[in-house]
Amino acid sequence: MKILIVEDEPKTGDYLKQGLTEAGFVADLARDGWDGLELAKDGHYDLMILDVMLPGLDGWQVLDGVRRAGVETPVLFLTARDQVADRVKGLELGADDYLVKPFAFAELLARVRTLLRRGRGGLEPTVLKVADLELDLLRRRAIRAGKKIDLTAKEFALLELLLRRQGEVLPRSLIASLVWDMNFDSDTNVIDVAVRRLRAKIDEGFESRLIHTVRGMGYVLDMDRDGA
Amino acid sequence: MTPLSLTARVSLLFAAGVTVVLLGLGWLVAWSVDRHFQEIDRHALEGKLALVGNLMAKANSPEAMDEVPRELDDALVGHEGLSVTLVDAQGNKWFASRDLDYPAALFRAPAQRGLTTWREGERGYRGLKAPVMTGDGRTLTAAIVLDISHHMHFIDAFRQGLVIAMTLAALLTAGLGWLAAHTGLRPLRRMTDMAAGLSASRLNERLPEAGLPPEIQNLATAFNAMLDRLEESFRRLSEFSSDIAHELRTPVSNLLIQTHVALGRSRSAEEYREVLLSSAEEYERLARMIGDMLFLAKADNRLIAPSQESVDLAAEASGLVEFYGILAEERGIRLQVAGRATAAGDRLMLRRALSNLLSNAIRHSPAGGTVTVRLDSDAAGSVVTVENQGAIPAEHLPRLFDRFFTGDPVRRAGGEGVGLGLAIVRSIVEVHGGEITAESEGGLTRFAIHLPMHAA
Repeated sequence: MKILIVEDEPKTGDYLKQGLTEAGFVADLARDGWDGLELAKDGHYDLMILDVMLPGLDGWQVLDGVRRAGVETPVLFLTARDQVADRVKGLELGADDYLVKPFAFAELLARVRTLLRRGRGGLEPTVLKVADLELDLLRRRAIRAGKKIDLTAKEFALLELLLRRQGEVLPRSLIASLVWDMNFDSDTNVIDVAVRRLRAKIDEGFESRLIHTVRGMGYVLDMDRDGA
Repeated sequence: MTPLSLTARVSLLFAAGVTVVLLGLGWLVAWSVDRHFQEIDRHALEGKLALVGNLMAKANSPEAMDEVPRELDDALVGHEGLSVTLVDAQGNKWFASRDLDYPAALFRAPAQRGLTTWREGERGYRGLKAPVMTGDGRTLTAAIVLDISHHMHFIDAFRQGLVIAMTLAALLTAGLGWLAAHTGLRPLRRMTDMAAGLSASRLNERLPEAGLPPEIQNLATAFNAMLDRLEESFRRLSEFSSDIAHELRTPVSNLLIQTHVALGRSRSAEEYREVLLSSAEEYERLARMIGDMLFLAKADNRLIAPSQESVDLAAEASGLVEFYGILAEERGIRLQVAGRATAAGDRLMLRRALSNLLSNAIRHSPAGGTVTVRLDSDAAGSVVTVENQGAIPAEHLPRLFDRFFTGDPVRRAGGEGVGLGLAIVRSIVEVHGGEITAESEGGLTRFAIHLPMHAA
């Protein structure tokens, strides 16, 4: 998966590139709008991360140029100003998602994966599996090692999210937003409690633990990972 | 074009008014004098006409007729400037006194009984003509003419004098008007000077309202009220800035110390990892604080326009109760929602406000307590109350919604929020045109949001 980052702030650009590379993507970095536009037009990227405030061409112009050239690469734009008008403008110009600075890297990673997944399409699986855990989406049933586990609706939704994104670290705010529709800063202690309870049902009494806490970042469901 | 100064306006209007009055008065005086002379002249002319008529009527024989010119001359002796002409039906001059040319102008005038006034060069005349019957039955036309040059000269001089006097009077009143306006507007200039002396550092000064004329007093009152509001916002703004600086200083100094200590000597990867994790937590806190402060700043500057959708508050409340229920249950707190209400506004914002209130209530509720969300609506709008056990000291109540206010300094150290939650609730309620109140009595603390039917 190739990702193009267009970002003029040197540290942000470098760390985004490093982070994405370490997450298993191939990442290129353009430091101004012109380079970004050139690369985007013929680089065959799967995703573009575009800063709005850029020297030369700004993010909107790059986005416009890319779309005019008929390149349909999904675009995630980064903005420092959380103005509704900005968001609307970006989405109207054909951006696919946005993040307001400062953001957590885990959040960016989660959004990037969502956008890349969206492009792939294909049939949605009706049963999600990891190790000996099985989640039947149609019957709303969770089974671990052949044993049925009783889950509340929200616990089921939380487990489904963790399973769909297995291996990805999900920040608390993203979990709150996707499972409880809390699209603003809320008490993240709630997520800790919810995950702890889910973990008690899923992991307690089993040899391998599936749900892990990544300190400072969030939660991840993974087969074997050094639980930090 | 720059508008005229008030002083100039007032003095010009005053001078114009006075000039119009003076013009009217002058015209009236000139007309009265003229009229007076006309009356005198008419009297003299009519007297002479009657005399001529008498003389002519008495002449009933040719001899007597021959005597008439001499009698006329006698009658006219001593009447300077008065002359008589008699013309017969054929237009032949029958008599003319010596000192006057034939008064052609008078004979040209329409045959009416009235005064005719005309000028010949420098001189002016006024005349009267009428038919007279002679004693032997003939009809003659008698024309009596008075030289009124001296009257005319007098009136001309009088008019000239009047014009000069009026011009001087108009100029004088303009000057006096300017003086009056200038003096009258002195309080306004004094006020301007004072207002010009005000600056951000001297916002506490006020214009003295006593001793001002009523018109300006209103202005001064309005101006002072504006200063009050300005001073208040200015004070809040500078307090907010210093709070921000203070609130940012703590996490930044934590980060600095921690990083510097970590860099002090080489450590194991595990130790570095620990430092980074701790930093990440601080950063997250900072990012959240910045986001909250931006939201507040935008709400203050009216940059947030809540959308106007119909929001089912009961549905929002139960969604939030489901979320916070997990935490409440953990702490042995019961959450309940009672009643129904809808409000017009921004769903996400109202949800956020309610979320902050609930989170606050759970945080301050003792274990085993109950947090109740009550929804009511009436004609005026809807009311949302969030109630929990636990008291807030009375002295804290007025400051609850202030930014960065956390009643308990210990709680702050625990890292649970930075005291912007309730300030955000108030901002959201206010951009919806609503009102929020807090009360604490009998061991219960109650927050109430009043939302109008339609947001302002």
